[in-house]
Amino acid sequence: MPRFDTLPLAWMVWDLPAPARRGAVLDQTRELDKFLAEIERRAFRMAQVALRDPDDAMDVVQDAMLKLARNYSAKPSAEWRPLFYRIMENGIRDLQRRRTVRKKFMVWLPGIKEDPEGEAQDPLDSVAAGGLDVPETLMQDQAMQKLEGLLRELPARQREAFMLRNFEGLDVGETAKAMGCSEGSVKTHYSRAVHSLRDRLGEVW
Amino acid sequence: MRENGPQESFSALEVRSRQLFQESVDGLDMRLRSRLTQARNAALDAAEAASRRPWFLRARVWTPAAGLSAAILLAAALWFGMPMGNHSMTAADQPGLEDLDIVASSDEASGDAMEMLQNDLDFYDFADKAASSGPQA
Repeated sequence: MPRFDTLPLAWMVWDLPAPARRGAVLDQTRELDKFLAEIERRAFRMAQVALRDPDDAMDVVQDAMLKLARNYSAKPSAEWRPLFYRIMENGIRDLQRRRTVRKKFMVWLPGIKEDPEGEAQDPLDSVAAGGLDVPETLMQDQAMQKLEGLLRELPARQREAFMLRNFEGLDVGETAKAMGCSEGSVKTHYSRAVHSLRDRLGEVW
Repeated sequence: MRENGPQESFSALEVRSRQLFQESVDGLDMRLRSRLTQARNAALDAAEAASRRPWFLRARVWTPAAGLSAAILLAAALWFGMPMGNHSMTAADQPGLEDLDIVASSDEASGDAMEMLQNDLDFYDFADKAASSGPQA
């Protein structure tokens, strides 16, 4: 039983992480880094589809990363993906709610009008930096813009189910965890989303 | 093309949309990628800081403990009927004339004050008697 003459010394020794524990923390950090690096771009694009504004999407993704790291990094890594998307979807919903309130408030203020389509974008921003020919890239951009527009028109739960299942590749159980509902609800939302998209895109695709 | 069954057309839609989405992900510009990397690094720093903190300083430990303590205190207060106001004061607790000695003695000029109070009491006694005997003249 060690004896300590001063309380700060006892505190420092007791608070010092053991080498094994420090190694476990490093492993966990490395694993979290790998996980976040793998999903960050897809998560950002999904948030952008829902919110349209890239800065808002970046804020939501960053917030979700921080919350996951602070509160759930000790959980098994298999649970991170549904947890992350649940945090992110909650963030998206909060932001959309705030926007709705702001829009209602803006109506009463003279002279201030929000651009319904968001900020005017530079057309060059939408051209991807890849090896594809420009006409093909433009066609794909147009198709993606059309898809994004239709996804935004879907009810939020259907959009969530479609993006998590189809874009992120979560299975039904993981999607249910991420959405906070039953697996049956996920199937229903997903099926309705696919039907709705097929009805509108069927002629084009 | 349209003679495919509904299941196949569902699959075509899913495959095409997934492909488009993945291409849009691959086409993210460097500025956005850099911001995402910064966000990831900030999150990793936060995770390390959280894991270094001793267990007894974590909010997750103290929040339920604080809630439980507050609930126990409230339950105890309700159970024992802690008097919160003057409504439960009994007649014995009410201040009486005999307490005037104490009030007056707490003052520096307690002798004078006591004398004045005594004069007042004599006057009130006289006025009371005069009122109860009625008009004499």
